[in-house]
Amino acid sequence: MENLAPQEGLIERIYWLIRLRWIAVAGVIFTVLSIEKIANIPLRSLTLYTIAFILGVYNLIFFLYLNRIKRNSPPDLPTIANRVANIQISLDLLSLTALIHFSGGIENPFIFYFIFHMIIASILLSRRASYLQATFATALFILMVSLEYFNFLEHHYLNGFVAYSLHANKIYILGISVAFISTLYLAVYMATSISVKLRQKEKILQEANLLLEEKDRIKSNYVLRVSHDIKEHLSAIQGCLDPVLQGLTGELNPGQKDLVRRSSERTGKLMSFVRALLEITRIKLSKEMETGPFSLRKTAENAVNFVEARAKDKDMRLSYNIDPAVDVITGAQIYIEETIANLLANSVKYTPKGGRVDMKIKDKGDSVLIQISDTGIGISKDDIPRIFDEFYRAKNAKALERDGTGLGLSIAKEVIERHKGKIWVESEEGKGSTFNIVLPK
Amino acid sequence: MAKILIIDDDPDIVEAMRIVLESKNYLVSSSKSGDDGLRKAEAEKPDLIILDVMMETISKGFEVARDLKKSQKNRDVPILMLTAIKESTGLDFKNEAGDEDWLPVDDYMEKPLKPQELLSKVESLLGGR
Repeated sequence: MENLAPQEGLIERIYWLIRLRWIAVAGVIFTVLSIEKIANIPLRSLTLYTIAFILGVYNLIFFLYLNRIKRNSPPDLPTIANRVANIQISLDLLSLTALIHFSGGIENPFIFYFIFHMIIASILLSRRASYLQATFATALFILMVSLEYFNFLEHHYLNGFVAYSLHANKIYILGISVAFISTLYLAVYMATSISVKLRQKEKILQEANLLLEEKDRIKSNYVLRVSHDIKEHLSAIQGCLDPVLQGLTGELNPGQKDLVRRSSERTGKLMSFVRALLEITRIKLSKEMETGPFSLRKTAENAVNFVEARAKDKDMRLSYNIDPAVDVITGAQIYIEETIANLLANSVKYTPKGGRVDMKIKDKGDSVLIQISDTGIGISKDDIPRIFDEFYRAKNAKALERDGTGLGLSIAKEVIERHKGKIWVESEEGKGSTFNIVLPK
Repeated sequence: MAKILIIDDDPDIVEAMRIVLESKNYLVSSSKSGDDGLRKAEAEKPDLIILDVMMETISKGFEVARDLKKSQKNRDVPILMLTAIKESTGLDFKNEAGDEDWLPVDDYMEKPLKPQELLSKVESLLGGR
């Protein structure tokens, strides 16, 4: 647990570090400019700009490299990301040491900026690697201070900021060193204590999540078995009722016929419910959908055909318009057809006689937008967030149609999300609804 | 009159189908298992076989269909397969029926069976004879 490396999201955090580094480059240039122009302290500005430039160059290189490995996503991506983070922080420490050296060395108060690197290391790296970076920073600091002290390196006096050069003042060096080095290690200690705990929590949450998914899968399997058994019996019941209803076992009197018809209809409704339940459960359990290229145009037209008769019965105007650029997309054709047909059927069902249902399919470059609008009863504001939940039915829908599984839209959502698409609804109660689907091509 | 053999392990469904088919004077016999069905098919030489896809095992119906199509006697007897399989396996039968290697049946029907639908399928399968 101690050296638990943060792998989830490490790449994102490295991008964050790269963004920070751009700010650092701008910060260096701005600070050097203002110190020279406003505070009138002479600086080796050209050297400092050069270091800022080098900082910018390697930042760009890391940015491009990261983009490339992210795209290829090799199996050892976490290891590579970890190594990249380590190298970047070490390079940053080197750059900061160079910047400090050329702008006063131990006299420069920006020396405490090393703390930021310690915090960044603690967030990005394991605890051990963070302490190693702290040790590397300490070594660089001691090296710089000693080389300046023994005059192996030129000291760049911050004339005007400190009263006199401090690089050879033993007491000052000792004081700053103790404060600086202890600050570095304490910063790592504190920051890693927090981030290690956070990582542990993150891991526990991930495990809990996996467990929940597993439980959900077990539940789905159970639902699948139970509904399948129920459906077998329903099939038999319906299979037995229908010949009786059709008089194949002899003429029925009107009372008998009425009751058998009711039984048969109710069995049919229960059957649709069980079918919908089986369908959504099966989609949830399937790891992958069988996908392939298909014509969305034809599929959408099939779906329209499916509801045409029902729309006609209600004197409704059913129209559609498909962008000429829309044709072949990749996906699970049967499910997409079913989803579109389902939404159209809903629109027809919940739109009063004489109303309108319209479907538009637009080309959006690498995706398509399918819009199905109606002039129906609409969905209330309270119901909109829950309309895609399993078994949920809006109040006005229930009032209009007593029977309904409450599963149609959750199946649609499951199908669309499996295609990495999006589905949402815009609606005003009493005026109508528009269901929108975005599907990647 | 045409002889129809029903191979299905659900006695209630068999009985319902028997009543529907007998109303049109077909001669109906039935069998509760795949193996028994194969034996009966050999012995009775029916004009049509109605075969449930799921019996002892999920794929018993497929095996029986393949065996029937291999048999000297019954090679040309049309098979109407009964499925409830779309719900349990997600397979769509629409494009598969008629594929000799994959699913050697002549037509298929989803349960529950509407009497009229059953009769018209049976009629059209027998019609060609």
